[in-house]
Amino acid sequence: MRPEMKEFNYDWMLWRILDPASRTADGTAKELQHMYRFAPYFKGILQPILQEGAPGIHFLKLLNQYLENVNTAHSRGKKIAITTFCFSPAICYALDIVPVTLEVITAVGGLMWKRGTFDYLDYACEIGFTETSCSSQRGALGAYLAGLGEEIDMVLCDTPGICDTNANAFAFAAAFLKKPFYQLNYPQGLGDKRTDTYHVDDYKAMIRFMEAHSGNQLDEDRLREILMEIDQQDALIADLEDMHRLVPTPLPPMYNLFNYVGRFLFSGSPEYTRLLEQMVAKTRENAEAGRSGLHSGKEKLRAFLCYIDHYSLNWNFWKWLDDHGIAHMGGILSRGFRDNACYVADLPGSSYGVETGTLDAMIDSIAQMNARLPMVRSIRGPFDQPNMWLEESLAVAKIFKAECMIYNGTPGCRNTWGMVKPFAREIEKHGYPVHIMYADAFDDRVESWAATAERLNEFFQVRGLL
Amino acid sequence: MMEMFYDAATRVNGRAIGDWKARGRKIVGCTCSYVPGEVFHAAGILPVRLRGIETDNMAIGDAYFGPYICSFPKCILQLAGEGRFAFLDGAIITPGCDAMRRLDDCWRKAGEDHAGIVPPFFYYFDVPHKTAPHGIQWFGEEIRNLIRAVEEHFDVRIDDDSLRASIVTYNKGRRLLKSLEDIRRTPHVGITGTDAFALAVAGTVLPRESFTENLEKLIRSLEERKPDIAGSKKRLMTLGSISDDIDLIQLIEEHSNALVVAENLCFGVRYEGHEIDETGDPVTALADGYLGKSTCPRMYGKYEERLGILKQIIARAGVEGVIMQNIRFCDLHGSENSLFERDLEAMGIPCLKIEREYGPLVEKGRIRMRLDAFMERME
Repeated sequence: MRPEMKEFNYDWMLWRILDPASRTADGTAKELQHMYRFAPYFKGILQPILQEGAPGIHFLKLLNQYLENVNTAHSRGKKIAITTFCFSPAICYALDIVPVTLEVITAVGGLMWKRGTFDYLDYACEIGFTETSCSSQRGALGAYLAGLGEEIDMVLCDTPGICDTNANAFAFAAAFLKKPFYQLNYPQGLGDKRTDTYHVDDYKAMIRFMEAHSGNQLDEDRLREILMEIDQQDALIADLEDMHRLVPTPLPPMYNLFNYVGRFLFSGSPEYTRLLEQMVAKTRENAEAGRSGLHSGKEKLRAFLCYIDHYSLNWNFWKWLDDHGIAHMGGILSRGFRDNACYVADLPGSSYGVETGTLDAMIDSIAQMNARLPMVRSIRGPFDQPNMWLEESLAVAKIFKAECMIYNGTPGCRNTWGMVKPFAREIEKHGYPVHIMYADAFDDRVESWAATAERLNEFFQVRGLL
Repeated sequence: MMEMFYDAATRVNGRAIGDWKARGRKIVGCTCSYVPGEVFHAAGILPVRLRGIETDNMAIGDAYFGPYICSFPKCILQLAGEGRFAFLDGAIITPGCDAMRRLDDCWRKAGEDHAGIVPPFFYYFDVPHKTAPHGIQWFGEEIRNLIRAVEEHFDVRIDDDSLRASIVTYNKGRRLLKSLEDIRRTPHVGITGTDAFALAVAGTVLPRESFTENLEKLIRSLEERKPDIAGSKKRLMTLGSISDDIDLIQLIEEHSNALVVAENLCFGVRYEGHEIDETGDPVTALADGYLGKSTCPRMYGKYEERLGILKQIIARAGVEGVIMQNIRFCDLHGSENSLFERDLEAMGIPCLKIEREYGPLVEKGRIRMRLDAFMERME
């Protein structure tokens, strides 16, 4: 790793950039213009966020709050757990543990810096990660493994049997740093009693692990408070998704990201509820005016991202879609599968509910919620099994009136690369053109953004979509 | 006698399989070592490990699997697509890793384009990734479900007594393999690593009785003759991701000063190293044995345990150097090999880490050069 990269911690650097930015966001236009002069690279990510108005500003503050929590955790006597995007942080908040969701802070580095997280990605390989291991964990994790981050106290993941590459990154980190490790493990099925019982047994064992390693006991009232907040958040998300079905969709493209990043960082926390309220208000305003959420105001096409987004510098991917009049109909990350969601009707057994009557009911609710998070829900079994990736993608595409699908991941997505060709073929049979991107969502060196954009252009032109 | 083992270890459709089919008997292929062979043995069915040897192109494998996928399942799919597994009456797919589990989807979908390549009994066996009580319970239920499915499809009966008898038969083979390991640990070693590995691989294909009978004869002969093949050669161990490549061990031993005295590979004694309890409920015993004692990296969070096992093998077999290999895109072994390298080198044990493709040794020159350099270092 370059010596200058070792001067400061990665999570500290992100925080020190976001902290002043989130404060300035409330300033006057003149103050903003002045600030942009001092942030020539960061401007590319900051400007589009702030252009979204109140939700953008709130999102920025939310990210900053998260990083502040991480950087001040130990001084406040709290333990830190590294975890993954498909693991709900709500249980960490219930146990007063500070979560670090690696994929999100890898993405923030990739979006914000021209150098991305390249140095940390490469460092992880230097100490033993395979070159095609998933970049989403490897970026931020490289920094933590190099000792360039707050010290980690425990490792939590829920991807064994879902994404080996992901689970392996966490297992490696635990072995390398000699930290306690817990893995939630999901069977291939979903929605049957046997599987649901396994989810709960495993989740209860994890709570015991977290209690043992944090020294904190699960507080029933605190858990209830968090679940009630989640209940409220799910209702707001359902409102957003109902409006997302309109043609043109009134949701600005970036709202998809605001939504899922908020959930990955602050599920069950009031900060995220406020963000959702602001997004719902703005979307409702657009919907009532019959306005498209795209900046051009003209929706030409609706694309569903059947996997994840592409986190290249300065929101290149979102900007490209927006510039071409393509509405982003969300992806695997956007959907939470609450029982009030508009897309679950055709997928019986796929959703979860929230019960707060007793401690057991609450643990059952949070365990089932966790089991329906992105990826751990959709790609746990054969892709054409009931409720899995194929059915889910078709149901979501249908309800949101998508006209094509785009697959994007990283070379580390061993699970989806293992089936994406037959999956795409099945999707095409249902009339949806599918574009398979060969880029790396978190590492532009695998395929430059220019090449990725060229291939997107080619797809939309060759298939006669634009 | 070794010829019989080599035939089974180096041919997809060897003599033993032909003889078995000629008698009108059934064969079921398995992709992973978590499938208890005893279940099929008890039903009079021959369980065989599915392998990708004898592959000469990847056109079919690449048509269904994506680019960043290990060549092992691609080779299996290739052979299936070419009809080379036509002798199979069934196949069991397990989530050994992400690439292997997708053999389920890809094989079935390839079956839509290549008629008749999907065996009539095609089963997904859901193996958990943990040995906590609820994991063992789940696995026990999976074994019971598998038994029911086999009984129904093949119109056979698998009761506790027949299962227990099969455990006894399998344990005999396990004890013999352990005896062979003991011989390899002696100063004179007695058998080359290539031969020993061929024996272990053959054990995943041959009918169990035939395997144990011939292995017993071989061990007796080795014990009587006590051939000294060690000389002043360096005692090596191989470990890492899935490998049934006899050629790889042979390539190592082509070096005049190298002798492989131990392995920790998915094919090999790793899963035959412990016996299954012969008393009590046989399904519980199989669940405890096959999952509870598993030391594969897919069982996340058990690195220290696995390192401890390696240290034991190294100490017992007097290993002087370790050769770690992983198939490209194998994250589990690829990264864990790096941890092993760090910790074993710290103990003063030289390690060589190789990433390679599965199948015909297309990279023979590159690997040989690295082996030569490694041997030079050891000297």
